[in-house]
Amino acid sequence: MFIEYSEEQTMLRDSAEKYLRDNYTFERRQAVVNSEQGFSKEAWQTFADLGWLAMTFREESGGFGGGALETLLLCEQFGKYLVVEPYLESIVLVGGLIEAGAHPSVREEYLGRLLSGELQGAPAYLESANVADPLRVETTAQPFGGGFLINGSKTVVVNGPEADLFLVSARTGGTTANSRQGISLFLLERETPGLSWKNYKTYDGRSACELQLHNVKVDAESVVGRIGDAYKFSAPIMSRAIVAVCAEAVGAMDALLSATVEYSKQRKQFGQPISRFQVLRHRMADMYMEVELTRSLLLATAWKLDSGAPDAQQCLIALKAKVGKAGRFVAHNAIQLHGGIGTTDELSVGHYFKRLAAIGVMFGSRDSYLARYFQS
Amino acid sequence: MSDEEFRGEVRAFLEQALTKEIRRAGELMTSVFADFDATMAWHKILHARGWIAPDWPEAYGGTGWSLNQRYIFQEECKLANAPALLPMGLQMLGPMLIHYGTEEQKNYYLPRILSGEDVWCQGYSEPGAGSDLASLTTSAVRDGDDYVINGSKIWTSYAQHSNRIFCLVRTSKEGPPQAGISFILVDMDARGLTVDPIVGLDGTVEQCQVFFEDVRVPAANLVGAENQGWEVAKYLLEFERGGHNFTIDHKKQMAKIMRQANSQYGPDHNLWINNPVFRAKFADVAVDALALEFTELRIKGDLQAGGNPGALSSLTKVMGTEIGQRFNELSLEVMGDHALVKQLDALTPGYDGEVIGPLCGLTTMAEYINNRAATIYGGSAEIQRDIIAKRVLGL
Repeated sequence: MFIEYSEEQTMLRDSAEKYLRDNYTFERRQAVVNSEQGFSKEAWQTFADLGWLAMTFREESGGFGGGALETLLLCEQFGKYLVVEPYLESIVLVGGLIEAGAHPSVREEYLGRLLSGELQGAPAYLESANVADPLRVETTAQPFGGGFLINGSKTVVVNGPEADLFLVSARTGGTTANSRQGISLFLLERETPGLSWKNYKTYDGRSACELQLHNVKVDAESVVGRIGDAYKFSAPIMSRAIVAVCAEAVGAMDALLSATVEYSKQRKQFGQPISRFQVLRHRMADMYMEVELTRSLLLATAWKLDSGAPDAQQCLIALKAKVGKAGRFVAHNAIQLHGGIGTTDELSVGHYFKRLAAIGVMFGSRDSYLARYFQS
Repeated sequence: MSDEEFRGEVRAFLEQALTKEIRRAGELMTSVFADFDATMAWHKILHARGWIAPDWPEAYGGTGWSLNQRYIFQEECKLANAPALLPMGLQMLGPMLIHYGTEEQKNYYLPRILSGEDVWCQGYSEPGAGSDLASLTTSAVRDGDDYVINGSKIWTSYAQHSNRIFCLVRTSKEGPPQAGISFILVDMDARGLTVDPIVGLDGTVEQCQVFFEDVRVPAANLVGAENQGWEVAKYLLEFERGGHNFTIDHKKQMAKIMRQANSQYGPDHNLWINNPVFRAKFADVAVDALALEFTELRIKGDLQAGGNPGALSSLTKVMGTEIGQRFNELSLEVMGDHALVKQLDALTPGYDGEVIGPLCGLTTMAEYINNRAATIYGGSAEIQRDIIAKRVLGL
């Protein structure tokens, strides 16, 4: 009736947990985040060697055939250990979309190298006028000599500074700025003439860039999915990406709850551990309930996506809305209960908070999902 | 039999067994209790069919159904508007007696619970002992073959309809307060026992206060050993908290609010269903209700695997009741002034007179008012949070 993990799934979770616990310390993470590099190449190669990058790809793509549940199991651990490596961007989104719809020769050329850790990808689909509405695409791709000519600009391209490949959305048709029809995806190498960028860091420790496309010429084979069909074609991959960030959020909330519980037992005020104060005990009980409710929605959604249940989308909407609320509640109270030290860069608590804040707004904020709840 | 075949069988039975009047009692419920007479009529119908105690072991009169089948049965009964059965005998005392009772007690009391011949009420809380249950002072003093009970119990639901009461009494003042408590079964017609009704906020009587003045009870009515009552009581409380399935209640509440929002007008000549504030608030609660639904399924999965719901039952008690209250508030927002009309006669199942205002709002205010108790009884929301802090988080 409800989820039971297979032996392989349990092993995946346990091995990811063990590897990250032993190797991915907060100090090492911070050293990478504070360096020029966006993430640790060494850690990324290990993720590839452990089979994590290929985990959710089909066997004929060189993967292990995992689904949303495997994505969940990995990303929950990534959240718990504040992993900054671009699994979401390079693997779930760019890798996932290439596998789903790239031209066979393009797939042949790039997918294996993405999954082996050799190449990096960055999805470039946000525009300054559209962060809350992915349909409002103003970048254009016009037919040009058998291929296309792309013009426009993209914002908050996470992993952009490290990317060898950009996956760019652009309008090839559609009469209005927000029509569902007429959006297409293009895979571009970084060296493609006409691309320029401005790199920066995000508050949650990622590297990102603004991407300009000026008369960028691409051939017809660089189209991913059918022309004009990107909205529909990318939906299953976007669902997977939402599961990925929500699983990360559950891992992060779990870590925050444990840290807060531990801290409250150590910290003494008024001559006793602050864990003795009922107002704090109840706050932590509320945090626990928010984590568990979110976990239930997450498990159900991943399971429903994998089994093709008709109400999977409704669950996904509920999940993203719940993550927005629970993530804030847990993070705010983790900081509150830690007191002043919780507001410093030194402690991991604030970094979980910033990641949860980022996840809360990625792929649409909580309010946008509450607004969609009735429509689906 | 597949689950779907089973569901079909249950539906077919409900279709013919639920009379219009009994069904009406279910529709008009404004708390966890339905009209008493209709409840007992339904109890007897289920008993005759052999389906009165699906959660009991088969040897004691249970149905032998799987966990899934029991869930389906509960769901279908609620969706068909069957009145809720009284839980004091079937859900609380029965399972407890099966675990702790003597053969004589089981042989005598269990069949009478099943048949509905005995109606039980619960004597736990006292005027001075609510959340701090262990501080109770109602005393039972051994005198020959009897105990003599003095004191008072309060919030005894449906005591006015009951012929028996199970009580926690103090048999010792030695040691910690939990150590001197015993569990005893008492006849309501015993000399010295009186029942005072307590009128609730909706104007009806669901709760009572029960007084004991030198009430003599045979020592054989003790369940478990003397001074071991706390363990027995806790076992029973877990059934009280964990046995409830909130999801079905929430689904019914949501369906009702949808009916209301589709027929009632909000500001700007717009049905409430089209109002963005209503929609956002409804979605907010519905998301939590969905999360709770899957949490209940997780618990069910754990139970099926032989596990114990443990403190997750505290989570479902808190969230289940608080979500229910949020739906009550939404309903009140939508029904507006219609909810003010107090028409208790129209809330009785046999009523065939005129109803003032829209039918879909008949129960709104009474449900809203009565459901404030949900976060108090069965261990208040604050006590449940204490339990989570202590048992789950190790604080």
